[in-house]
Amino acid sequence: NSDGEDDSDVLESAGEEDMNDQVNLLTGAPKPTKCAEDDDFMTAFDKMLTDNIQARTNESLKVPQLDIAVPMHLRGKSKKPTVMPGLVEDRSINFVLMTRRGTKQQFTDLHVPISEEFAAKFRERALVERAE
Amino acid sequence: EEDDEEQFFMKDLPKHACSYCGIHDPACVVFCNSTKKWFCNGRGNTSGSHIINHLVRAKAKEVTLHKDGPLGETVLECYNCGCRNVFLLGFIPAKADSVVVLLCRQPCATLTNLKDMNWDPNQWQPLIQDRQFLPWLVKVPLDQEQLRARQISPQQINKLEELWKDNPDATLEDLEKPGVDEEPQQVLLRYDDAYQYQNIFGPLVKLEADYDKKLKESQTQDNIVVRWDVGLNKKRIAYFHLPKANEEMKLMHGDELRLRYMGELHKPWSGVGHVIKIPDNHSDEVAIELKSNAGVPTECTQNYVVDFVWKSTSFDRMQAALKTFAVDETSVWGYIYHKLLGHEVEDVVIKCQLPKRFSAPQLPELNHSQVYAVKTVLQKPLSLIQGPPGTGKTVTSATIVHHLAKQNNGQVLVCAPSNIAVDQLTEKIHRTGLKVVRLCAKSREAIDSPVSFLALHNQIRNMDSIPELAKLQQLKDETGELSSTDEKRYRALKKQCEKELLQHADVICCTCVGTGDPRLAKMQFRSVLIDESTQATEPECMIPVILGCRQLILVGDHCQLGPVVMCKKAARAGLSQSLFERLVVLGIRPIRLQVQYRMHPALSAFPSNIFYEGSLQNGVTPAERTRKSLDIPYPQQDKPMFFYTTTGQEEISSSGTSYLNRTEAANVEKIATRFLRSGVKPEQIGIITPYEGQRAYIVQYMQYSGSLNKKLYQEIEVASVDAFQGREKDFIILSCVRSNEHQGIGFLNDPRRLNVALTRAKYGIIIVGNPKVLSKQPLWNHLLTHYKETKCLVEGPLNNLKESLIQFSKPRKLVN
Ligand SMILES: [Zn+2]
Ligand SMILES: [Zn+2]
Ligand SMILES: [Zn+2]
Repeated sequence: NSDGEDDSDVLESAGEEDMNDQVNLLTGAPKPTKCAEDDDFMTAFDKMLTDNIQARTNESLKVPQLDIAVPMHLRGKSKKPTVMPGLVEDRSINFVLMTRRGTKQQFTDLHVPISEEFAAKFRERALVERAE
Repeated sequence: EEDDEEQFFMKDLPKHACSYCGIHDPACVVFCNSTKKWFCNGRGNTSGSHIINHLVRAKAKEVTLHKDGPLGETVLECYNCGCRNVFLLGFIPAKADSVVVLLCRQPCATLTNLKDMNWDPNQWQPLIQDRQFLPWLVKVPLDQEQLRARQISPQQINKLEELWKDNPDATLEDLEKPGVDEEPQQVLLRYDDAYQYQNIFGPLVKLEADYDKKLKESQTQDNIVVRWDVGLNKKRIAYFHLPKANEEMKLMHGDELRLRYMGELHKPWSGVGHVIKIPDNHSDEVAIELKSNAGVPTECTQNYVVDFVWKSTSFDRMQAALKTFAVDETSVWGYIYHKLLGHEVEDVVIKCQLPKRFSAPQLPELNHSQVYAVKTVLQKPLSLIQGPPGTGKTVTSATIVHHLAKQNNGQVLVCAPSNIAVDQLTEKIHRTGLKVVRLCAKSREAIDSPVSFLALHNQIRNMDSIPELAKLQQLKDETGELSSTDEKRYRALKKQCEKELLQHADVICCTCVGTGDPRLAKMQFRSVLIDESTQATEPECMIPVILGCRQLILVGDHCQLGPVVMCKKAARAGLSQSLFERLVVLGIRPIRLQVQYRMHPALSAFPSNIFYEGSLQNGVTPAERTRKSLDIPYPQQDKPMFFYTTTGQEEISSSGTSYLNRTEAANVEKIATRFLRSGVKPEQIGIITPYEGQRAYIVQYMQYSGSLNKKLYQEIEVASVDAFQGREKDFIILSCVRSNEHQGIGFLNDPRRLNVALTRAKYGIIIVGNPKVLSKQPLWNHLLTHYKETKCLVEGPLNNLKESLIQFSKPRKLVN
């Protein structure tokens, strides 16, 4: 069956790491079933994404000038980022997600893993500032 | 253990349990605002998380988080504009503080003034990555939890989503009930009789029709602003923008739209019209010509709604043809009947006077393989001609038609699935001096073409044998409408003239579907030629065949794109296989045209080897296909081609956004500009890209960022591979647009599509893409190896290209 062949081709031609598969085998995590329905889904996803972006680009939107101040009570926090305890790879930084309900601002804690670039950058900067 | 599992399934799941797998940890689930169902953020056995699977399949975009989850009951929306489309939303962090907000990708996260403020626009990242919500926004259930949950396959998900469309309360268990999802019967290679044939194809045509209907009827768009105009024929024309990109439903000339006035300034009104203009490089406007001028509220411009009017005509005609084939013994000659059904029949030779000269008047002299094709075809009741790109398929077809018409076997019916192909062939047949009538659908009469003068409706206008008709026509043109008695008289006279013209024609040309026109209903055609037949579905091909066919010639190329079938179910059951292909599988050898006159020999080498067993010969020399004083840095003097490595790795890794495409678009613009600067005319350049998003982006980018006059870039055609089939350009730039590492290379994965993309250019081709990603696919691996071996795989700035040293493994042998 051609799907199977495609797979081995990917490995052979690409010569790239395919660690995920191996890890999956060891931990017995659920693995994607390769089939037409799943391929169709992936294509539909890509299309939906591009369509939505495209439609948005074509819309002539009037949006408010972006002017979002960071509230004072959140400002001080930047000096000492709370690194949540845990394994190195699950480490996260406490951010605050600012949302709006009607005109009221709402703040919720959000643990962003250090693997996210902006979290890592933020931490670096904070460490530098503290050293100074 | 088993009991445990039983317990898990049996116990009542809370309302917020994932509708697919039952997982119900509040931190892991998301509510779909439009279908009011919950889904988890685990992938299970699919390539996207369950919630993303659902959103995509249900075309839903807005979600809410669970009240007991870490973020509480939160509707995900843009902080600035309130946009709730999760496909557009992303996080943006503050520059100096540990605060994030949600902003839409466009326009909020791209506002230029963002730069001076507290927020860092470069750090924007989408909520959905790798087809899953960011795990730190919506928790991903642990592997163990996923394994314990209800196991649901992508197939089951698909069926369940289908079921929900009719019954929103359906559950996974309902899938087991009989009759819910009967897969249609697969097409066969051979059929017992035409009844069996109809029994198999009938339901597939119905599936496709239903799908098409659903799709079109779901396309209603509101808040449309209309600009009114009047056409030369005095009919009202409405111009407007359709804001929502309609990708799935490609709007075409002749399609019917309904315009409805919803405002307060006029009484309710609705009118139907045919599309006479679609969005193009010049403007994004759509135009329809209204069927009736009565009561049109032209003083109102705002508050219109546009509906797509679904027409069953083409499907009805296919069904009718299948039925006729089954019940009417005289509809097709016995030999053809059995051949089409795959029965073994003794060969028959048609006695005919072979012409002394095979080339037809006013058409180019035929080469040996073309002469062979013409000669063979004339003596056989059923033949297939395979015309690879640039091999003179249309000239050969026109020549055959010329000889057929001269044999005095009655009129010849010539058709093709697309209007463009019919027009091209009509023009050539007309040149040989035959009396040709081009029959157009009524809805397309307003559309101009190079062979408009041969169209039946125009020939009638120019007939002076019946002065009364001319007079009525003039009156109608001047006033736009006739009194009812005049209209009746006008129609009767017109019908009479149409009949006369059709009966006196040597050749009638129309689309396959057009041959089902009532005006041809009582006519018989012994000889039928179908061009581009590999792009028609079988039932489509049957429409011209059942008009009494005794000699059938199918022309096409099964190594190029096949018929377009939108309904996946019907496609999988085999509706997307053409009659030509099935006959090839049945052992009928196509006669292949072997000399190509389009491409520079360096460009034809790869397609010839990979797609045509190396059989393509070059009818043009390198010198004839070399453009002098071109400022294009071809790495090899004798090869007008190169593969321009465009990496941008970081951008690819994010989830298939158009950001990735920018690099390619910029390179495409640079190359296009060089061609233009070298004096190549814009209409000689074609830019092929598989994705609509990239097409629109390139069009915009060139006009706004290109260093030359905007107008020049507007004249460059940028389109999908499919839009270029059957056509050629002097120069082609191909932008591959790959999305991400986890997925195939989409449209370009189809060898037939790649073949078409590679064979459009006459003088030069430049491919822009990421070789590392593309080489994972065996066919592309071959192509890239070919470019590398010919030292045409390059990288670096355009004015200092260097041979790329990237290594691929040896390509495997391809199995076709
Ligand atoms: Zn789930
Ligand atoms: Zn916004
Ligand atoms: Zn038979």
